[in-house]
Amino acid sequence: MLRYFIRKLFVYGLTFVVAVTIDWAIPHLMPGNPVLTLVGRIQVQDPKVAQQLYDHYMRAFNLDLPLWKQYGYFWISLFHGDLGTSILEFPTSVTSIIVHAIPYTLGLLIPAILLSWYAGNKVGALAARRKVLDNSVLPASYALTATPYMWLAILLVFVFGITLSLFPVGFAYSPTAVRGFTWSFGVDVLHHWFLPFLSLFLVSFGGWAIGMRNMIIYELESDYAHYLEALGAPQRLVRKYAFRNAMLPQITGLALVLGAIIAGALVTEIVFSYPGLGYQIYRAITNEDYFVIQGIFLFIIVGVLIANFVVDIVYVIVDPRTRIGMQGGRS
Amino acid sequence: MKHVWRRTTAGLALVALAAVAITASAGASPTKHSSPLAGYPRSQTLITSGTQWGNIAGTNPYTGNYAAGMIGLDLETLLRFNPVTGNYINWLAKSATWTAAKRFKIVVRSGVKWGDGKPFTGSDVAYNLRLARFNTSQWHNLYLNVKAIAAHGNTVMVVFKGTPNYIQWQNAMWNIPMISPSQSKTIITNAASLTTYSPGNPIGTGPYQMDSKGFDPTTRVVWVKKAHWWAADQGISPSPKPKYIIDLVNTSNTNSLAAVLAGVEDLNNNYLPGVNKLVDTGKVSTYYKKAPYMLSANTAWLEPNTTHKPLNDPVFRRALAESININQIVTQDYQNLVLPASPTGLLPTWSKYVDQAAVKANGFKYSTADAVKLLTNAGYKRDSSGMFMNKDGSKIDLDLSVPQGWSDWEAARDMIISSAKTAGIRITAKVKDFNTWQSDRNTGNFDLVVDNNYQISDNPWTYWNGIYHLPILTTGTGQTNFNFERYSNPAAWALVQKLDRTPLSNTAAIKEINSKLQTTLMKDLPLIPLWYNGQWAQFTSKYWTNWPAAGSRQYTPVMWGGYLQMTGIDMFTPLNLMGGADPSTHPTRRPRGRRPGGAPAPAAPSKESPCFATSSGSSSSTA
Repeated sequence: MLRYFIRKLFVYGLTFVVAVTIDWAIPHLMPGNPVLTLVGRIQVQDPKVAQQLYDHYMRAFNLDLPLWKQYGYFWISLFHGDLGTSILEFPTSVTSIIVHAIPYTLGLLIPAILLSWYAGNKVGALAARRKVLDNSVLPASYALTATPYMWLAILLVFVFGITLSLFPVGFAYSPTAVRGFTWSFGVDVLHHWFLPFLSLFLVSFGGWAIGMRNMIIYELESDYAHYLEALGAPQRLVRKYAFRNAMLPQITGLALVLGAIIAGALVTEIVFSYPGLGYQIYRAITNEDYFVIQGIFLFIIVGVLIANFVVDIVYVIVDPRTRIGMQGGRS
Repeated sequence: MKHVWRRTTAGLALVALAAVAITASAGASPTKHSSPLAGYPRSQTLITSGTQWGNIAGTNPYTGNYAAGMIGLDLETLLRFNPVTGNYINWLAKSATWTAAKRFKIVVRSGVKWGDGKPFTGSDVAYNLRLARFNTSQWHNLYLNVKAIAAHGNTVMVVFKGTPNYIQWQNAMWNIPMISPSQSKTIITNAASLTTYSPGNPIGTGPYQMDSKGFDPTTRVVWVKKAHWWAADQGISPSPKPKYIIDLVNTSNTNSLAAVLAGVEDLNNNYLPGVNKLVDTGKVSTYYKKAPYMLSANTAWLEPNTTHKPLNDPVFRRALAESININQIVTQDYQNLVLPASPTGLLPTWSKYVDQAAVKANGFKYSTADAVKLLTNAGYKRDSSGMFMNKDGSKIDLDLSVPQGWSDWEAARDMIISSAKTAGIRITAKVKDFNTWQSDRNTGNFDLVVDNNYQISDNPWTYWNGIYHLPILTTGTGQTNFNFERYSNPAAWALVQKLDRTPLSNTAAIKEINSKLQTTLMKDLPLIPLWYNGQWAQFTSKYWTNWPAAGSRQYTPVMWGGYLQMTGIDMFTPLNLMGGADPSTHPTRRPRGRRPGGAPAPAAPSKESPCFATSSGSSSSTA
């Protein structure tokens, strides 16, 4: 078991270094210079002053150093827990931008992932044994899962936000809301949260439902299911076993699609102007805010790696074969 | 197992929701206790948007991304400038005048108080002027020419070493924000700290103060009206009506449009394509009821790289200018939301500087036939496809770029390409994202770009300085702020410098220099003026009425940086609540005494007219 985890940790460590290096390199290799935009926003009448301001900010961000040195400083700062300062929102620190944005993103992601996974599996399992459900849920699920996150989000904004005016289409709370632990503010936050959540939920739901429906049908046709039936086991028991076995690929699937769901959350936030990490990263990329891009992607990389690791552990717990396999036994 | 899953899922969902609520409530707010208010009362709140892109960086007016309203609502300036009348307004300064060629005297208005109750004095002004000693201040170049700044009571005397830059200095007087020395003195100690200074509760002299509990860098800045404001107390200006002003961060044009239509925003300062239709159907209103709907803000032009062949030939540039159907851009692309630019490019606010005779003699007009004739007479020949070639017989294929996604400019680009093609000039669109476009423009890696660089100001010097600035930097970052067209005309540049050092009272010399500079522009066309971008402002009347309008309430209707201290701040004073109730919960004393301009104060501030004093010669006269 320990060897298994050490091997996993090594792979994760290696992935981390490579991913973070790419994360650093991409913004730095993009054409353009964010400091020019920063200085351009200050109305300066004398080019000498503009040049001095430019030099000042280039030094402040270490952008006047050769790339290899910048890369070195990047790792040193990283180990000191310093993600740097936003260029466009100077002097705001990247950490404060991330800390501000994380709860919004997690508030969307965690319920969307877990609820869609749970509901998708349940409905998929039901669809596998009821003709009516199979004929309605299956095509709907195919349509949903094939829908790009952004497109569904735009559709929801158009229908429920603009045409029906049932939900707001921007920000995490109303412009006139006073923040605090009050019912009215809580309801306001939920009102703003619902549509972005729904768009993430629906797309993911479709995928899980199809997967589960197919797996259940496969499992119910397998030898052990027929054997149980032949022994006279009740249908309920047979289905329970089929469901458990069908869960395993779904857990693996969760690990595999985690990255895609996070990417989906990012674009969803942009559509809804929901101030989470996706919205911030979009701002950062369009303005070449190197340190914000790096910081947020770093957070996402770490988040995805941790989530995958958790899924690995969960897999070991729910599948006795893996556990036994790791202990040298035979399944 | 199933039940465990269900409980876990529901539990996690609740935790996540709670996390969102907690962060939203605490978030960036420095204080975590809840406010007694359930929400800012909409009937006392004005909601604006269209100024802040991205997160709000903070409250430092020396950086470019400070909270909207920082200068104007909170911090104030010594003077203000009215672009409609062309007059300066004595504001924190009772007067600001040249007493000798190198001596500038500022008399601070008495009775002005900082938000913390301390009186605003001459030494506070001197402190703020001295901040320009740091090379991270945008006024550092002016400070280098200052010999001494001395404050005695309410008087500040500035003595210059050499001939002062009269025009730049005058411009600085209505742009340098007065920040509180007691709040900043110990923090701003060097050039770097001037750029990082960003207090959570900035203390100013203006009518509003920031509500730090409401501030959220990703969403909004909230301004709360002070109980007392010197200008209202002294009867110089009516008190602004809204108790709260909330400026929302820009999200997207689509969301802006939705927010305007839903009445979520009262004032929106985005360019909203097709807004003329909403005005015509009465859904929103604008400064003018009909075209051009908006006041002008800056000149959009076609910027040729004058170092590239054949754009280095003034005749070719003129032919190019004459090939462009500007009216098509104005009527079809902008649907008359903009005005076509004068051949001088000078904004309407500078119309008094336009030399009509020079325009008649040198101005260009759209005429494909004339463009063709010009090129043919200059020796340009056509190739087999009918397009003009360089004089050496090589192919002409100019690239033209605008920042990707700026749809109005993209449409203008296509119209320019198409009309130039009719005149035999081959131009190809080149798609570049904003950063690449900007970087290429600064380093000269372009043939043609559509651009707009210099905002409306008190003097066309800012415009000429941008166009003719020398030297042209070819290394490093290239041109950062000026002369992107790389036009080298030392005589014109000398005139620009001379203009800067001409006293504002010498109107004849100023007129003459302006005339020469515009003649050069029209003859050489280092830039091809196309149209005037507007001060985009859409008002909704769901909650507030009596918005700025031509003829009566002639105020700059935008929250953009630099505009509130023009007459932007005045737009909040005549506002009325829909339904007529007075939202002002704070008593405004009736005006007393005399207005600084000399005229007796009106019995009560009129809601229809500007109630501030203009400096018709006392402080600083415009040319």
